[in-house]
This record gives sequence, structure tokens and C-alpha cells, in this order.
Amino acid sequence: MTTPAGAEMTDAEPGKSPDNPWPVRAVSTRVAKYIDKLGTVWVEGQIAQLNLRPTVAFIMLRDPAADMSLSVMCPRDLVENAPVKLAEGVQVIMHGKLQFHTGRGTVSLRVTEIRAVGLGELLERIERLRKLLEAEGLFDPRLKRPLPFLPNTVGLITGRASAAERDVVAVAQSRWPAVRFAIRNTAVQGPNTVAQVVDALRELDADPDVDVIVIARGGGDIDALLPFYDETLCREIAKCTTPIVSAIGHEPDNPMCDLVADVRAATPTDAAKRIVPDAAAEQAMVRDLCRRGGRALRNWVHREQHHLDQLRSRPVLAAPLAALTARSEEVHRARAAARRDITRLVSAEADRVEHLSARLATLGPAATLARGYAVVQTLPAASSTGRVLRTAADAPKGTRLRIRVADGAVTAVSDGPEGIPK
Amino acid sequence: MKPISQLGYEESRDELIAVVQQLEQGGLDLDTSLKLWERGEELAKRCEEHLAGARKRVEDALAAKDPEES
Repeated sequence: MTTPAGAEMTDAEPGKSPDNPWPVRAVSTRVAKYIDKLGTVWVEGQIAQLNLRPTVAFIMLRDPAADMSLSVMCPRDLVENAPVKLAEGVQVIMHGKLQFHTGRGTVSLRVTEIRAVGLGELLERIERLRKLLEAEGLFDPRLKRPLPFLPNTVGLITGRASAAERDVVAVAQSRWPAVRFAIRNTAVQGPNTVAQVVDALRELDADPDVDVIVIARGGGDIDALLPFYDETLCREIAKCTTPIVSAIGHEPDNPMCDLVADVRAATPTDAAKRIVPDAAAEQAMVRDLCRRGGRALRNWVHREQHHLDQLRSRPVLAAPLAALTARSEEVHRARAAARRDITRLVSAEADRVEHLSARLATLGPAATLARGYAVVQTLPAASSTGRVLRTAADAPKGTRLRIRVADGAVTAVSDGPEGIPK
Repeated sequence: MKPISQLGYEESRDELIAVVQQLEQGGLDLDTSLKLWERGEELAKRCEEHLAGARKRVEDALAAKDPEES
């Protein structure tokens, strides 16, 4: 240890009495040397002030549990490239060397490394995983599978006798009393959580009856929800073919599972609402649709009936035989007329013939013949015509005669005139 | 002159009419008149046969059809 006032060694030690004080420079130099010997330290604290200059940054690091602070100096780059965004209130771990500034007589920590601490580091890791999974496309909305309207069986992964389990089951049953659950109780926090949840997921995903799976857990701090940020679990969820509803924690919790799952429910109750329809509402809708459908159908029938009635009242349908009857009557009339006509015709002709016959009778000798007279004609030899016999001399013996009487004629041969000798 | 048996009704009737008209006009000798008259009688008979046949056909047709009438 050097003594700047070594010349006064014979007196009382320098700085021990008012007679022999140290100059400021001697003290400052000694303090600076002493502090310099402390070497590098790791220190954790909360940033209370952050003052960025063009090349350096001044930080006031405060102990969150006590009213104590330390001023920190570091290159500006170090702040900008810190693993977590540095801001007032952020807890960090810094590595540096304490330095005494002789000019102002202040001590500050010259920091060469800044690390996130606890939550900061955790968030940093989570953020890295989030970026990785996002880059792999695991959050892609196009990968989200739609939930079934009415699931056969709902797979539920949740803590034993947990509020989350009660919420999901009770709300789902109130909406759809017939809902069925396949419940797998697992650890929902602690070191076994990921393995148990993954096993349950695989089991339920393989069950053909299960067509939606809910992972439910109540709210909690980051430490409690940590398993649901796990990369293995996230990848397992992405791998499932069954739609997954993630209901981890409460708003604004945002575990990674929520991003990978097909549907992100804000709470277990919300998840229950997503997985089953509201039976009462659905039934009311079905009833309404039935009523409207029925009314529409009745109206339709009524309208068609009316139409049909109108058609039926048309003459052709109302009296289908009318046309036939009319034609039949026509035929009857025509036939009657024809009969009348033919009868009349035959009668007229008969009258006419009768009339002609009567006239013929009066013109001819019929009346005379009827009284017993006869007309005698000579029957000539072939080719000459016969003549009426007017004188006896015209009928010598052997003359062939034709004697016409009322109803016909006879032929005879003359024996010659009477009383006249030959 | 066509044999009477081969004459249709109209032919018979028309010839009958002609015979009657000829006789009414007169001027014929007795032999011709007698012959004409005898043909007239046969024609009249032939006409009546035709008419009787026609009447029978009408009656037969009506008798056959009647049962079908409503």
C-alpha cells in the first residue's frame, strides 16, 4: 500500500488526525484500488432506471426486497442485444466489475454480460420455442380441425377432482344432457405432467369413439402452467388426428398448448360451450323449423287442393261422360232418323208400286179377265208374233192357241171352227 | 229386253213407270197392250219382292241391334 504522504511517516499516521489529513486524491486513489481488487461479481436486481446514451447505457439496478440500488454502466450494445428486452421493472442478472470513478467519487458496476433471470429466462426460452413452432407452421390456421357438431364421446384430460373438470362436465351436461365423457385424470402441474398428459392424449386419440379432446386446467402462475408450454406436449397435440380444445388457465394466460390446439377456449367453461351444442336452444330451433316446415307443407297442400278442386270442377272432369253422352245421343238420333228414313223410303216406294199396280190394273184387262172373260191369242210359228184371235176362221184346226185368264195363261190346240164342216 | 229376275228395284220401278205411261197414252194394239200389261204386272211383282226384301232387312237389323241398346 502506497502512501502519497510518505514524507510524514514519522508523525502520526496520515489521515488519523486533523493535523495530518489525506488529500482527496490520496483517499480516492486508495478507494479505487481497493474496489478494483474486488474483481468481477454476479449480481441480480431489478432495473429501476434505464438511460441510453449514444455509446453507453446507465442503469439503476435496485434490490426488489430492500431499498438499495447500484448504478450500472455498460456499452449500449449490451442492452440492445440482451436476451430479454430491458426495461424498468425487469429482473436481470448481470456480470461485471465494480469501479470507483475518482472524478465524481461514485461507484458503478461496469457490466460485461446481462442475463435474463428466472421468469425472464423462462419467457426467453418459451419465446424461442414459440418462434420455432411457428416457423414449422404448427400454428397455421389451415391445420385447425373443425369440432364435431355433436361429439360421440368427449375426451377430457384434467386434474383429479379439479374445478376445471367440474366446470367442463357440469356446463356440457347442462347444455346437452346426453353428452358422454372419457375422462383421464392426470397431473396438471409438476414434473410428471407432460408424460401423463401425452399418454392420455395418445390413448384418447386412438379411441374411435372420442371425436374431440379437451385439455382443461384452471388458472395459475407461470410455474404452474409451465408443462403446457412444453415442446413435447405441443408436438403431441399437433400430431393428434382428433380435434383438440385447449382450456388452460384463464384469460390472459396464453400457454403454448393454446396455440397448437385446434380450438383455444378461454376457460374450461368456455371449452364446454364449444364442444356441445346447447340442447335447449337446438331443440327450440328444431321445433321452430318443424313448425315452419309443417305450416309450409300444409299451405302447399291447401294450395294444391284448391288448384285440384278448380281443375275438377271443369266440365270435362266434372262430367267426363258428357261428351260421350252427347255423341251417343247424336248416334241415337242419327240411327232413329236413318230408321225412320228407310222405313219411310220403303213405305213410299211400296205406295208408289201399289199405285202403279193399281193404275196398271185399270189400264189392263185384269178386271175383265176377273169376270171370267179370256183373251185368246194364236201362237205363231217361230219368229212371227202372236195375234189376238178375233175371228174363228183365224184358228183352223191345229192352230196353237194361248188363252190368257185372270191369273195366268194356258196353251191349247184348236180343233177348228165349230159347226163349219171341213 | 232384260229378264225380270235380273232387274234391280230402281230399274224395275222405272220400267214399270214407263209401262204405265205407255198404256195411259193408249194407241197400242191389243196384242202389244196385253204384252205390255203382262210385263207391267211382272215388274210390279218384282218391285214388291225387292221392297219386301228391303223391309225384312231393316226389321232384321233392328231386331239384332235392339238388345244392345241402353
